Amino acid sequence: MAYLLIVDDDEDFASAVSTVLRGQGYETGIETDGARTVERIRVRRPDAVILDVMFPENDKAGFEIARSIRRTFGELPVLLLTAVNQSFPLGFSRNDLDPTWLPAVDFVEKPVDFAVLCSKVSDILTRRSSAHPAG
Amino acid sequence: MALAGGASDDSAWTAYDLPLEGRTAEDRVPVSAQSDELILVRNLAWFCSLRWLAIAALALLALLGWVSSTLIPIPWLHLDPAWPSLAAGVLLLLNLTWILLTRRASRGERRALLARRSLWLQILLDLAVLTGVVHFLGSVLTFAPFMYLFHIVLACIFLSRIRSLVVTLSAMGMYLACLVLERTGAVPPSSVLSALALPAAHDIAPVVLALQFLLVAFVSLTVWYLASRLSSDLRRRDEELFAINRRLEAATEERASHMLQTTHQLKAPFAAIHANAQILLTGHCGSLPSAAVGVVEQIATRCETLTRGITAMLQLANLRSQAQNPPSPALLDVSETVRACLAAMKPQAEKRGILFEEDLSPAPALAVQDHVVMIIDNILSNAVSYSLDGQHVRVSSRAKPGGGALVVVRDCGIGIPADKLPRIFDDYYRTTEAARHNRGSTGLGLAIVRQTASAGSIGVHVESAPSRGTVFTLDFPSPGRKVHGIPADRG
Repeated sequence: MAYLLIVDDDEDFASAVSTVLRGQGYETGIETDGARTVERIRVRRPDAVILDVMFPENDKAGFEIARSIRRTFGELPVLLLTAVNQSFPLGFSRNDLDPTWLPAVDFVEKPVDFAVLCSKVSDILTRRSSAHPAG
Repeated sequence: MALAGGASDDSAWTAYDLPLEGRTAEDRVPVSAQSDELILVRNLAWFCSLRWLAIAALALLALLGWVSSTLIPIPWLHLDPAWPSLAAGVLLLLNLTWILLTRRASRGERRALLARRSLWLQILLDLAVLTGVVHFLGSVLTFAPFMYLFHIVLACIFLSRIRSLVVTLSAMGMYLACLVLERTGAVPPSSVLSALALPAAHDIAPVVLALQFLLVAFVSLTVWYLASRLSSDLRRRDEELFAINRRLEAATEERASHMLQTTHQLKAPFAAIHANAQILLTGHCGSLPSAAVGVVEQIATRCETLTRGITAMLQLANLRSQAQNPPSPALLDVSETVRACLAAMKPQAEKRGILFEEDLSPAPALAVQDHVVMIIDNILSNAVSYSLDGQHVRVSSRAKPGGGALVVVRDCGIGIPADKLPRIFDDYYRTTEAARHNRGSTGLGLAIVRQTASAGSIGVHVESAPSRGTVFTLDFPSPGRKVHGIPADRG
């Protein structure tokens, strides 16, 4: 069973995402403190991380967390959740996803359409299992 | 977008061109701080241009001297063509050297360093040449000494008060040296008017000569005082404006960050409510009574509407705040953006059985990518929202023969009555019928289109007929062109 780590400072939202993903047969964990993400992954390595971009202490903390994940754990897939799209200052688009600048495989805009989220999670895990059949 | 009326008279096609407002792509100047060094380099380039004029004037003088001494003698004029030729040659050499050096110093900082180092050399050489010209034209009893005023005024405009005073005193020093050399006989006196038997410097009493010098010095210093004061006032205001601009830029950055936080703070709670409503609807918490399903669906729908509204309001506020300093456009293929927007819009369209007919050819244009996404997104979203279930929306793009691109979005939906077309780009404008057809409309989509189109000089032409549909034609400019009123592609 794939294990997904949801990192979002909004506990209500994270728990809703967790409920839906558990309903899809995934095992989930929730982390509301972005700064503890790497530590949390060390304790139990997930198959993918669902990561919010904005945290109260920093507009782009999610970017930093994604980079830390990349540096520490290599190609562990990260799916970003964002309330701001490219039309805002400091917002971003698919073109900004980049191994060094923004190491994430995809993103989903809030409010989340769970059908879209589940489909993207499924795609990510399929790609990961075909790339790393042993893992 | 407004809903069509039912009368047959109302169903004729009506066209409307969105008037572009604000600054155009041509007169948009990026706000950037220019360093003193760069201004100095630019000013020295201008001095070079002025020096070419001086060289031309001296060359003409040499020609006049040659003509008057060989072809057409002028009895009162004694003009040896040798000295204006020599002066023109020195200035020519100075200009060519400067141009050669600036060409070799390709980078901005090296040019600035060169400009700083050569500035005073250029000023002193110019003054020395001018003193030579004054000497040959006649240092006394002519207006030649007042030519120093050109240099003094230029120095006041481009240099600080102290530096322009140094230039003024240098000019006076050179003039005084010229008079002293002539009076002592170290340099033979010269004047183009010598044929009129006017007294030369060594014939004039020292007191009169001193008075002559003092008069020139007094006029020069007065001009320096007035011009430098005016110039320093202007410069101070320029610096104040620059400081204000810096503060505005800092405030814009702060506001952008604040806006991002606001968006997050406003949208995050609705995202949580929406997520929980979806959990209830998808049965993760057990099955709901049918009455409760309706209520929860309403909660979810209103959450989505509110989130879209918040996004649109903040987008519009952000675009308006960018109006004075819009992002720079780049050359891009609009058809690629249209393709991406269509892909994003397809799930929403498919839910209502609406199909996109795509005819996308490469369409290079000068535009801001994010703005193009906003325009296309809003127009496609409207086309889907105001179509009837199962209808088709036709989207095409193509390059224009003269440069730029056209994108056409045609729906066969409810259309817009003619009298309401000019208002569809207003903030929050929705007719009752349009609101009834699409309850989730924010009324801001086309206001966003208006703002982005104006910022990028993108022509927006709308044709619509109630109950028959609407055609939006977007005319993206090629570099250096501004286009209005492009007819819709009805093909």
